[in-house]
Amino acid sequence: MAIIDRPLAIGAGDDAVETVDRPLGSITRPQESGTWRDWLTTVDHKKIGIMYGAAAMFFFVIGGAEALLIRLQLATPNGTLLSPEVYNQVFTMHGVTMIFLVAMPMGAAFANYLLPLQIGARDVAFPRLNALSFWVFLFGGLFLNSAWLLGGGADGGWFNYAPNSTVTFSPSHGIDFYALGLQITGVASLVGAINLITTVLNMRPKGMTLMRMPIFTWMNLVVQFLLLFAVPVISVALFELTFDRLFDANFFNTEAGADPLLWQHLFWIFGHPEVYILILPSFGIVSEVIPVFSRKPIFGYSFMVASGVAIGFMGWGVWAHHMFVSGIGPISVAAFSLSTMFIAVPTGVKILNWLATIWGGKLRFNTAMLFAVGVVSMFTIGGLSGVTHSIAPADTQQTDTYYIVAHFHYVIFGGTLLGFFSGFYFWWPKMFGYKLNEKLGKTNFWLQIVGFNVTFGPMHILGLQGMSRRIDTYDAGFGFEFWNLVATVGAFIIALGIAFFFVNVAVSRRQWIAAGKPNPGPDPWDARSLEWMTASPTPIHNFDEEITVDAPDEFWHRKYGYDTEGNVVRKATAEEVAQDGSNTNVHLPSPSYFPILLALSMPIISYGLIYSLWLCIPGGMLLVYSMVGWIFEHPDDPNAAHDDHGHDDHGDAPDELAAGDDEGELVGVGAGAPETEATNG
Amino acid sequence: MASATVAVGHGADHGHEEHETNYGMSNNKMAMWLFLSSDCLLFGALISTFLLYRTNISDGTVFTEPADVFDIPFTSLSSFVLLMSSLTMVLALSAVKRGDERNGRIWLLTTAFLGMVFIGGQVYEFTIFSAEGLQYSTNTWTSAFFTLTGFHGVHVSVGILLLMGTVFGTRNSGLGKEKSEAVELVGLYWHFVDIVWVIIFTVIYLIPIG
Amino acid sequence: MNRLTPSTRKVVRFLALLTAAFVLAACADNAPLDTRGDNLQGPEARDIESFLRWVLWIAYAVFFAVLGVTLYAWKNFRIKTEDYEDDEFPEQISHNNTLEIAWTAAPAILLAIIAIFTIGLHQSLNSNSENPITLDVADGAGGATTVEWEPEIVVVGQQWWWEYQYHFGDVDLVAQRVETLPNADITTATQMVIPVGMEIELEITSRDVIHSHWIPSLNGKRDAVPGRQSAPWKIQADEPGVYFGQCTEFCGLSHSRMRMQVVALPEAEFQEWVTAQMQGLELSPETAAYVAELEAGATVPPANAEQRAIDTFRTKCASCHVLDGVTDGIVARPEEQLVSGAAPNLTHFATRTTFAGGIRNVYETDTGEFNRNDIAQWLRDPASIKANFTEPVSETDSRLRGMPNLGLTTEEVDDLVSLLEMTAPQEGEFEMFEFIIEETGVE
Repeated sequence: MAIIDRPLAIGAGDDAVETVDRPLGSITRPQESGTWRDWLTTVDHKKIGIMYGAAAMFFFVIGGAEALLIRLQLATPNGTLLSPEVYNQVFTMHGVTMIFLVAMPMGAAFANYLLPLQIGARDVAFPRLNALSFWVFLFGGLFLNSAWLLGGGADGGWFNYAPNSTVTFSPSHGIDFYALGLQITGVASLVGAINLITTVLNMRPKGMTLMRMPIFTWMNLVVQFLLLFAVPVISVALFELTFDRLFDANFFNTEAGADPLLWQHLFWIFGHPEVYILILPSFGIVSEVIPVFSRKPIFGYSFMVASGVAIGFMGWGVWAHHMFVSGIGPISVAAFSLSTMFIAVPTGVKILNWLATIWGGKLRFNTAMLFAVGVVSMFTIGGLSGVTHSIAPADTQQTDTYYIVAHFHYVIFGGTLLGFFSGFYFWWPKMFGYKLNEKLGKTNFWLQIVGFNVTFGPMHILGLQGMSRRIDTYDAGFGFEFWNLVATVGAFIIALGIAFFFVNVAVSRRQWIAAGKPNPGPDPWDARSLEWMTASPTPIHNFDEEITVDAPDEFWHRKYGYDTEGNVVRKATAEEVAQDGSNTNVHLPSPSYFPILLALSMPIISYGLIYSLWLCIPGGMLLVYSMVGWIFEHPDDPNAAHDDHGHDDHGDAPDELAAGDDEGELVGVGAGAPETEATNG
Repeated sequence: MASATVAVGHGADHGHEEHETNYGMSNNKMAMWLFLSSDCLLFGALISTFLLYRTNISDGTVFTEPADVFDIPFTSLSSFVLLMSSLTMVLALSAVKRGDERNGRIWLLTTAFLGMVFIGGQVYEFTIFSAEGLQYSTNTWTSAFFTLTGFHGVHVSVGILLLMGTVFGTRNSGLGKEKSEAVELVGLYWHFVDIVWVIIFTVIYLIPIG
Repeated sequence: MNRLTPSTRKVVRFLALLTAAFVLAACADNAPLDTRGDNLQGPEARDIESFLRWVLWIAYAVFFAVLGVTLYAWKNFRIKTEDYEDDEFPEQISHNNTLEIAWTAAPAILLAIIAIFTIGLHQSLNSNSENPITLDVADGAGGATTVEWEPEIVVVGQQWWWEYQYHFGDVDLVAQRVETLPNADITTATQMVIPVGMEIELEITSRDVIHSHWIPSLNGKRDAVPGRQSAPWKIQADEPGVYFGQCTEFCGLSHSRMRMQVVALPEAEFQEWVTAQMQGLELSPETAAYVAELEAGATVPPANAEQRAIDTFRTKCASCHVLDGVTDGIVARPEEQLVSGAAPNLTHFATRTTFAGGIRNVYETDTGEFNRNDIAQWLRDPASIKANFTEPVSETDSRLRGMPNLGLTTEEVDDLVSLLEMTAPQEGEFEMFEFIIEETGVE
């Protein structure tokens, strides 16, 4: 608890503070040095967001390499590239990595960077906890992958059904790493969820009501609530598994009468909301990108919000559709079959609203838009095959075959990952101050989407032909040869497409500078939400002054109004409206060593649990030390340079409601007269 | 509540704290509520596990049945002690809110002491169970029992540390009115842990195995 | 005017590829595990497929509608970068409640209709009809008796093969865990033999981890969960034949090599099979006497290859495997040797057409010859055919998973293969056997 709030910080609200820049007298508070060291101690949500993204990309490369190994093994019958033992580890770690170390943190990357900006806040509610989330996730991910060097990764599949996950059936340490590693990353998710929910609910500026928040913020709010309630359930399952494996408990020991379905229920009560945790951030991104490049507001804002919330609620009532063939009884199967069908309704609403947004718009198909539109159609395929799964009788033929592999890749790759790429191209100038190369970007898109369909499209057929998932090889004569080869070719096309993305990242900046292009300005895409109302890249303090919001798409309404005939007219340029980031008089929370130290203690304790309990002692000491240090460290360094500690910038800042800014959606009566004439003419 | 937000000042992470938050609830308090709601699911899952295995007490082999070892009067007494600690917690908070620092500290320490009594009782009970042959890895019932009550015990212990931290961590800065929200947050946590125990006690000890 | 830009051409090519994929899929070679078309031989599988087909048509329609709208918008509403006017705006439509309610309701109604049919199909798949058949079975005392058998088979998964138990007596199979069931009248492995045209109830469970029993051409799958009897599941085959299956729940190292077949026979042939299965191994009088001496505890040197094989079997194989008439006096203790606690009963090994978890053929499918090579290789080095844990579970747990390498000599292997060959059906005992051997070939 102490790590969530530090109510006892010495000298709270007291000017006669002891000097606290050396809590516990051992560590000197970090100071901004302008070097890479700043990143280790930063509490800035933007830097943390970027680190989340970079780390997720790193794991994406690992998970992608594992995917290619899988496809190489299955390219031909009786593949011998990987032994069955290694293959089982590779597909397990591929799934675990892609879900827990790529898709989830990438969502967290966007949420961290954008949520405070989109609601017009200066940072998250708890900046140091935010840093803690990131480091915990990173160390958890590295811990999980360190299993490769220590005798092999987990080999039970990403959902790791008991009792195959118990010591009797998986005696290596792989599954210990799985259980403890996911436990650690779960802490990161939970802390992040508490932090971001508090941020969104509590830190909105004046006028930013819930129903004026951008859809991306809304979808992430739903995601964080899902995490808040789903993570503890998987934590319990993982604790039970860990205790079984390390301390001879009997939760999954069938010889002692345990029920293996316990794991399945706990896992999927987490696991199904998890699916929406993965997809909703992408839905949010698409809902931001499509309106901007259609030059229209999102169609049916309130339906979009409501359907997202509905998905969040309904997501809790469908978990047993993963267990249609587990023998849970015909009545349960029928009930979950129905609930699963109807979760397609809010999802369908989203698809149709996106199409309605595009309809009649002025569409600019740059890379971000291509990826977003790609999500709309590719996710539709995944959603529709999902409907065929919800038909319980049909699912008895499809589940655990390649048909389901195809289904969830259309959802997670076609939905989530393409959405993230859309987000990269869209927000890159905001994050880094230059645009990614469009030509490379489009090559990236086309290779990726073609490769994606060539890889996963045939898997529908393979599944219907009866190819089980998770088989390390197959015999000739079952009709699997052709499509497996096609899928392998497709996988390499995807890899090539993604290589283009990395090339793009590597060359764009230099090209941009070489071409002498200026800073893209606050608003390179003529966008709608608040993050574009400040300079690019985002200044460290986000906004010079607090923004008062009068409408959804506040930024757009400050730029444009309607004339008397209802036509859109420009009231002001983006540069006029946006803040230039020049206010240096902003007091920000100071960096700290304790988040990274606290995070570091977790893998140390975990190694101790696996190898030698003695190691838990230094790990535990580090844990306690950094918690205590955290509590006694003042969140804001009293010695840091800023004027008057008693009053923060907001109070000092010039009147927040700068005249003229607040007329938002009012009809631009002559205010922008010259332009009005120009456009109407 | 509104008064609490004003008083937080630099105790919070962020300058924004000085503004009214959107719902008039401080960030810290909202975070605590969110954490507790999440924790409900943690105990929910643990209790579900226990309910699944509560009748699974023997698998052909003969060993002591839990009902024979249960000492309901003893456990009731320690439960009563824990419930009383909620009362002292309320007294502590009201003292701090009044600005009565001395009594605030006394009641906080009393709460912590009652918590320790409860933990002591739990340790004693575990020892008896273990001696009677109900060990952690004996069967599914024992695994579920020790894990559920153990997790609760850890929660109580963390609560004790928070209480002690509140008392001893404020030796220099005092425990004035402006700290009442901090005390309130510790109290929220403490009450939550108490309520959870009421449920656990009912599920494990009071409902007979049919 | 419709000149295609490079990116247009890409889209067209992509769509062509997609279409080609669907077309090709429709006429792909028939695969023995296929869940569609001619491969389906059971009423349940056919019901599922015909319903799925309708839903898939709806799904295609929805997808192509979405894609169509997207492409239409792309063609008609796209502004090229060079034509982009900063101040040109489309009509700013932010919502249309009627439309939105309509397209919330429409899919809901469509899904409700699908749901009604789903429940109907679900109901029929989970109901069982009573149709007992009359069987002559051995009564255990050398004579025969007639029983009314409600076709019901216990299916037990273990790493990495399937056991099938037939109980002809009055045993409540549903209520019992596999560990507590009485000895079955027939215990066989890897191949389940069923009478044709009849609904067979399956009680599916497992001895170790979760497996899934799936014969795609007959019905969907059902998990085998240790410690639980699945809610009853059923299969039915319309035609005599061999129907292939594959374990579909990841079950560890050799999951991909855990297969099984259903052999469907006409009722008369099924009766023949039952009669043969209920007899022990027929031995020559001398060998029978030799076995009797061994059973009595004497140490007798084997006189010929057959006796050598029996000696080897009793010393090396019988701690896990049963061979009725040869290992009767040895109480096989697979539960101490194997994690699952069971190994295939080999009394009628050569009446089955596959072995090693259903992945190798006992007979060459083209010539019908006994496949000595593969069987010998299996005995010599099991892991070369099917991945195995060669080490015990742990230092404190010496149990194995799967067939261990016993370090047999070439001679011992040869003898054992001959012994196994002796378990083949006798001339005229099993009329359809050649048909089954042929049907076993997948290529």
